[in-house]
Amino acid sequence: MTIEVRELDTGLDFGRTVPRVPAWLTLPVGVGAAIIIVWVAVAITVSWWAPYEPLATVGTRLTSPTWRHLAGTDALGRDVLTRTLYGTRSSLPIAAIVIAVAVIIGCVVGAVAGMFGGWVDSLLMRLSDITLAFPPILLAMTVTASLGPGLRNALFAMVVVWWPVYARLLRAQVMAVKEQDHVTAATSMGAGQGRILIRHVLPLAMTPILVNATMDFGQVVLLAASLSFIGLGALPPSPEWGSMISEGSVRFYEWWIAAAPGVAILTVVLGFNFLGDGVRDFLDPRTRRR
Amino acid sequence: MNRKTRYYLVAGLALAALAFIATACGGDDDNGGGGAGGGNNDKPLVIARDMDINSMDPSRAYCDTCQIYLTATYDTLIGLDPKDNKTFIPRVAEKWEGNADRTQYTFTLNKKANFADGTPLTSADVKWTFERLANVKGSAAYFMDGITAIETPDPQTVIVKLAASDSSFLAKVNASYAGIINSKLASANGATAAKDADTTDKAEAWFLKNSAGGGPYTLANYTEGAEIRLARNDKYWGDKPALKEVIIKQVKDAVTQRQQLETGDADIAMQIDPDTAKKISNKSVTIKEVPSFNFVYIALSPGAKDNKIDLNPKIREAVRSALDYDGIIQVTLGGGGKKQAAPIPNGFLGTKNLQLPSRDVAKAKQLLKDGGQPNGFTIDAMYPNVNVYGVDFNTMMQKIQSDLSEIGIKLNLQPVEFTVWVAKIRGDGIPLTAVYFAPDHTDPIQYVQYFGMVPGAPWAGRAGGANTPLLNQAEVDLSAKALASSSDAEREKLYESIGNEMIKDAIILPIVNPNLVLAYRSELEGMHYSACCNLEVARLKRK
Repeated sequence: MTIEVRELDTGLDFGRTVPRVPAWLTLPVGVGAAIIIVWVAVAITVSWWAPYEPLATVGTRLTSPTWRHLAGTDALGRDVLTRTLYGTRSSLPIAAIVIAVAVIIGCVVGAVAGMFGGWVDSLLMRLSDITLAFPPILLAMTVTASLGPGLRNALFAMVVVWWPVYARLLRAQVMAVKEQDHVTAATSMGAGQGRILIRHVLPLAMTPILVNATMDFGQVVLLAASLSFIGLGALPPSPEWGSMISEGSVRFYEWWIAAAPGVAILTVVLGFNFLGDGVRDFLDPRTRRR
Repeated sequence: MNRKTRYYLVAGLALAALAFIATACGGDDDNGGGGAGGGNNDKPLVIARDMDINSMDPSRAYCDTCQIYLTATYDTLIGLDPKDNKTFIPRVAEKWEGNADRTQYTFTLNKKANFADGTPLTSADVKWTFERLANVKGSAAYFMDGITAIETPDPQTVIVKLAASDSSFLAKVNASYAGIINSKLASANGATAAKDADTTDKAEAWFLKNSAGGGPYTLANYTEGAEIRLARNDKYWGDKPALKEVIIKQVKDAVTQRQQLETGDADIAMQIDPDTAKKISNKSVTIKEVPSFNFVYIALSPGAKDNKIDLNPKIREAVRSALDYDGIIQVTLGGGGKKQAAPIPNGFLGTKNLQLPSRDVAKAKQLLKDGGQPNGFTIDAMYPNVNVYGVDFNTMMQKIQSDLSEIGIKLNLQPVEFTVWVAKIRGDGIPLTAVYFAPDHTDPIQYVQYFGMVPGAPWAGRAGGANTPLLNQAEVDLSAKALASSSDAEREKLYESIGNEMIKDAIILPIVNPNLVLAYRSELEGMHYSACCNLEVARLKRK
């Protein structure tokens, strides 16, 4: 299938002399990738060049943005920009861990359910139905509230919320792929269930998982910030975007306290959404817009 | 959703966010002058307030908003002079006296006193009210502890006999929770004052829709989470209130309260913090900062179950000396508060000469060494994630955390919901926590009974651990003397000594006594802060 589409594309562009940009690399995808690269670079290097310490009182409290403090200072006189930059160090790793763990759990559950069917499938899918039946933020709140606030518990709660998405996705893919001819061929040659799953089914079923994971990255950043906003995520005084916005929310006239972390969340979510589009187009040309 | 739609959506959201930020930047303009501004007392008075109602039944209620509501709708035996917040003035009782050792009080009721429905208010109603307050076993039931008998020789005389001396009894009778209830009306609607009233009294729901008092106002409507509407009691037997209708409207945050005040949607905003108050430059709004009797404190509980550190008196003193009080007051209230020495708020009897805390890092380090923790330690600090009297606890605790880190004490901050905090503090206890206190009545004994290391005091139990309360015999003896004294001068001395003992305990470390911001439309007269009742709406009028 892939080959057919590529031929079609080539046919359309035949005769062009300009160097070809791959169709999936559109402007938004480039912007998204750039945003993400910048934020990841910030997360890795911020402690080398950040103007101030994130926890230190470095100026007069509640000063509006100036050249000394580009994003102003908060109620304790800490530099908001520095804290926002350091915020990447909680938001990005959290999102990465949540997505990674959720993907692993979801894939195991989904593959087992899809491969074996029967009562195993029913059991696992009802479990995921139950989890999916709750609004994500509500379920995450319940879990964190019962475990106590803190980033680790929030992380656990978000994994609980997220795995069913991947389980269902992979199950559907596995069920579709396992009916295909090459799987039947492998079965007839005596391959075991495990080998079929790993060698012949999973590689084909992973595409939507990867696309979804990229798209979800931004959503997890948002959910983590939401949990921190309501006081169930990061504990003070750690610089986390959600808790910074929460600090700013009670000080309406000192808008800058919430503005900087707000813009940070906005760009990260936007970046991952754009990037997710690109990843989907790259991995799954069938849905590509022509 | 296809990709194109999503582009537009995302771009739209981004634009909306930018637009929001832009409006927020420019949002500091004065938009005042919107109010009608007429001096008409028939126009309803609107009070914007974040309400904390737990019950509308005087015997069960226990909250700041309750104090305002109950004061408006129920008359107490004696009132409080708003000029000095100390002197008692006649209300239902035209005369009262206590005996020499403060074990018996006699009240003579005003013959004119009646309830809103016209029924005369008699000694039987007073007896019934006090017995119901005790027997329903609400939070304020302790006001009636120690009463052995209430005698009513005639309809205008009430004699209350106490088992032990209690010089604070008048202050308790002055509190809004002791407002006199129309016993006939309430009984007809399920109320009882019998011994088993905590299970047999069925009137709480009725009280949500009705008031049964003789105060200057009656309850016209109560909608939970929205409003309390009060109508003037036109048959009020005392000084007639000026305003025809008063609405206490639920408005959660200071920012919205400020906006409603500036536009004239509200006449009084009750919870504006000093920082926000400084931003108001609207001429039709009056802002006054007055001292309050509220305070915010941190508390150390050596006996808490999870505590692994020997929090001996030296260590506790080290914590006190390490805190940058002026800095904390600056950070939380923009300077709108005062330091406080003992867990008895500034302005109460006996607090005048107490030594205020101050920061001394070198002394704190020495104390840590003397206390056996030269390198400091790590301690859990769970606290309610609240914002009271303008103090945001998260901000305050982060400042305290940074102050204590200078002497090597590391705080693990754990902000939690208030209900979670209550369960924890009543259960296992918390090694280091922060919380707040507002007075129940005007006598300093309540602070000894709550914060003192005396038998039965909640903090004595929390500090020492469930089965071994921490006790300070000097406080026990001094408070017994204070309760039996009928001389204010003597009581002042005794409470000063108690204050010094409580400072020595170093269990409760007061952080700030926040100023209260009175924010109201300038045409309003009679705005005040009352120690017993928070705000007496009957004293308000429009110019």
